[in-house]
Amino acid sequence: MYAVNYVRPKSLAEAAKFLARNPEAKLLSGGMTLVPTLKARLARPSHLVDIARLPELRGVRAAAGVLSVGAAVKHYEVATSPVVKKAIPALAELAGLIGDPQVRNMGTIGGSVANNDPAADYPAAVLALDASVVTNRRTIPAADYFQGLFATALEEGEIIVRIAFPVPKRAAYAKFPHPASGYAMAGVFIAQTAGGVRVAVTGAGPGVFRWKEAESALAKSLKPAALEGAALDASNLNEDIHASRDYRANLVRVMARRALEKLSGRK
Amino acid sequence: MATHLHAPHHRVEDFRLVTGTGRYAADWNLPGQLYAHFVRSDRAHAEIVAVNVEAARRHPGVRRIYTGEDAIAAGYTKWFVILNYPGRGGMQIRKPMRPALAARRVRHVGEAVAMVVADSPAAAQDAAELVEIEYRDLPAVVSPEEALQDGAPLLHEDIPGNLAFEYEAGDEEAVKEAFARAAHVSRIKLEVSRVAPSPLEPRACTVAYHPGEDRYHVYVCIQGINMMRRQLSVATDVPEDKIVVHAQDVGGSFGQRSAAYPEYCMQMLAARELGRPVKWVSTRSEGFMSDTHGRANTITGELALDAEGRFLAMRVDWIADMGAYLSATGSASHTRNPSTCLTGVYRIPALYGRWRLAFTNTVPVAAYRGAGRPDVAYAIERLVSQAAWELKMDPAELRRRNFIPPEAFPYKTPTGSTYENADFPGVLEKALRLADWKGFAKRRARSERAGRLRGIGIATVIENTGAGLFPKDQVTIECGADGTVTVYSVAQSSGQGHETTFAMLVADALELPLEKVRLRESVQEKGLIGNHTGGSRSLVGAGSVCRLAAQQLLAQARSAAAEELEVEPSQVEYSRGVFHVRGGREKISLAALAGKRRLALTAEASVGSTFPNGCHIAEVEIDPETGVSRIVAYNAVDDAGNVINHTVVEGQVHGAVAQGAGQVFGEKVVYDRASGQMLTGSFMDYCMPRAGLLPEIRLEDHPVPSKINVLGAKGVGESGCTASLPALANAVMDALRPLGVEQLDMPYTPARVWHAIQEARKGVR
Repeated sequence: MYAVNYVRPKSLAEAAKFLARNPEAKLLSGGMTLVPTLKARLARPSHLVDIARLPELRGVRAAAGVLSVGAAVKHYEVATSPVVKKAIPALAELAGLIGDPQVRNMGTIGGSVANNDPAADYPAAVLALDASVVTNRRTIPAADYFQGLFATALEEGEIIVRIAFPVPKRAAYAKFPHPASGYAMAGVFIAQTAGGVRVAVTGAGPGVFRWKEAESALAKSLKPAALEGAALDASNLNEDIHASRDYRANLVRVMARRALEKLSGRK
Repeated sequence: MATHLHAPHHRVEDFRLVTGTGRYAADWNLPGQLYAHFVRSDRAHAEIVAVNVEAARRHPGVRRIYTGEDAIAAGYTKWFVILNYPGRGGMQIRKPMRPALAARRVRHVGEAVAMVVADSPAAAQDAAELVEIEYRDLPAVVSPEEALQDGAPLLHEDIPGNLAFEYEAGDEEAVKEAFARAAHVSRIKLEVSRVAPSPLEPRACTVAYHPGEDRYHVYVCIQGINMMRRQLSVATDVPEDKIVVHAQDVGGSFGQRSAAYPEYCMQMLAARELGRPVKWVSTRSEGFMSDTHGRANTITGELALDAEGRFLAMRVDWIADMGAYLSATGSASHTRNPSTCLTGVYRIPALYGRWRLAFTNTVPVAAYRGAGRPDVAYAIERLVSQAAWELKMDPAELRRRNFIPPEAFPYKTPTGSTYENADFPGVLEKALRLADWKGFAKRRARSERAGRLRGIGIATVIENTGAGLFPKDQVTIECGADGTVTVYSVAQSSGQGHETTFAMLVADALELPLEKVRLRESVQEKGLIGNHTGGSRSLVGAGSVCRLAAQQLLAQARSAAAEELEVEPSQVEYSRGVFHVRGGREKISLAALAGKRRLALTAEASVGSTFPNGCHIAEVEIDPETGVSRIVAYNAVDDAGNVINHTVVEGQVHGAVAQGAGQVFGEKVVYDRASGQMLTGSFMDYCMPRAGLLPEIRLEDHPVPSKINVLGAKGVGESGCTASLPALANAVMDALRPLGVEQLDMPYTPARVWHAIQEARKGVR
């Protein structure tokens, strides 16, 4: 790790001001990706601005059909929150599948969504639930937010404050973890929302994406058999020493079916 | 009175180790120490055109920068290799020159090219980034089979064909003749994956040079001080008595920690030249590309059988990947160990093996838990199970039919080793009962109804424990005036529980409470001859001598007590730390005696190889939709000879089975074929086993005591790896064969298994 200065602002405004004055500073919100990157000397920020304890970024609330999760809420908190479990049990379940206990007790939802790792779990829920990423400047719909491999709509100095999830009728997530890293090799989040059935896939491609063909098929029937005819273009999926495109495409289908089976079990 | 032995006993060292009060290599700190950081090659194979250290030298806090030219000037280019026998046609092993820092050429990614020594670790690392190396890339070869082909890139100019050594064992003609009359021949080609052993403790070393005594003090992770000293001496030309090796706790070794690495030698040079101790602690990333790797063997095996399923002959053609240079142990581990056990547990009249050792642009390969024995057992046991499938025979019955029978021991094998004793049928029958072998069909049907493929795998294996590099094992025992008995040994524990097991042996012989006996390992001042921990031999060797030492101490004390009590030694009785005069009231305690006279001695013995063996039976269930394998049952019956401490033995078997399972289902070092870059350089890509991989392991023992050591022990550290590789792989193959999958190599990752199922269903295979 290169030498780096650590600061912990007391408020969101102070954090934003600090970032504006220090363009080489990086936000720290759990650090489950950033700290290993620093240790490997792959990044050299001037400052680490720790926002994981900012009061404005804390808290979980459900009201008026929206579940609002503060950006600094940890995976463990989401996994065990009675509010989340009641509103969107699939989201609590997803959070409980991230990493290991150490990661879940350090990593935050805002940190994960800001990083947009193509194999992270949260982006699948954010996209499938048509959530909004609320920042200190604006509200970004999920459809505009994710822009591929580690790329998002966030501007310089913009800070995620919370994620607002419209509560769906039903939702479910099925994940196939990478045998070595534990990240999603394929994760499929299916949500039955007011706007119809939405299917988001993480881990298999260069970024989270909606599987539109599956959505169309499921609009007609929510039976697992409906998925069989849904086309899936494997040519856009990832291929590496761990898994071929074909294998990942298969995992997407299997995880989608398993998510659907879970969905049918939910009221 | 046997108060301690053959019982389960919790490990006395665990409190220290789990409460963070152990002392590992990185925990040693010396006043005034400097810090080393190594600049490593990012190329697999390249000429070094220039190394520019000017900018780095000017960096604040930098004391000195060393490069390959310094290593050559110091003469640090030759390395100790334990292989000392001729190969095929009298061939001598070809030892390439290896400067402790690469000079003129780099031959694998991660090879150290320069060493920066500075006042702090950060200054050393910062300066290391300023070292500029100009390379001219050369074509790389990472596959040993390709390395041996004509026209392959040559790693060492003086070593034609990248061939380090060729070796053979057995009778080629007799095998050829037997194959000609065989009713059935089974053939298989297997890869035993290259693995990164990855002990929990990263490598670390601190070296201090004391000019007054002209000695180097080396604080480092080891398997034994004598092995480390011998190797450091060969590499640096510093006489062994000028090198003092220090170690207390070692966090896993697996063969990888036995080596004297180039880094340590360069630290010796720097410590002397700079007059300050020099410390280095490896990162995990450096470990992947500079700690020796294990296994990496490609084996073609053929088994000839008669019409009744009796084995007539077997031959293996073996290509061992040595990596870019020779490690101390890799070449012998991958030739002599497999040739010693080439017949497995079977009576096979004709045997022949041929080994070719290849250089590739990869990290050097060394002994790794089992050191060639798991590899050969894997080849034999895969072949035998495949033959059973082809002949539509029960694989247990095929084994039973071909075992070396108990009455045939001592059994001289066709490759020249002598198995001492064993009861293979007894071990097998016990394991079959433990695993409910007969009930498998029902369990398979149940899995099928749930949409899963179930397979059962059996392996009946044997291995030789290490005879040792040094001619004997010595142990010093001393009794203090407080009644505490201290035992000194040079077989360093790295998790084997010596402090408990060896102390039990002594406490039992002296009828003392366990806490009265203390084991101290790796105290070089005692000047003990003895072997390092390796080849499953430390109980058989050092442990036996601990027992002898205690018995001899008791005899010494008895004579002393007789003199003190003024009676004949025969009149003295001993019980629980006190000598009594028979029929009288006079007595003297061991402690009181030690206060008056010196009670101390050094015992020794030369203990050869023992032959632990066993039968492991595994069951797996495969989800055909995802290719995920789950181990649903694991049963093991081992003949480790007499068991001294069941807790420790079970721990050894559990750990070794888990290590084997890790290799079978996930671990594999992958290099990019074109660039020679390592693609599995962190735990994000290198799949280590997790606790959830294994169900409860059910164990039973079946001891046939060895007679070559006083304990009747046979060693157990590695047998779990030797048996689990074939047992688990056979279980996977048993699940997949009915679909038409004929051969699939480890690691059985979900993707690999899924593809095999798809291809079989398509009829591609």
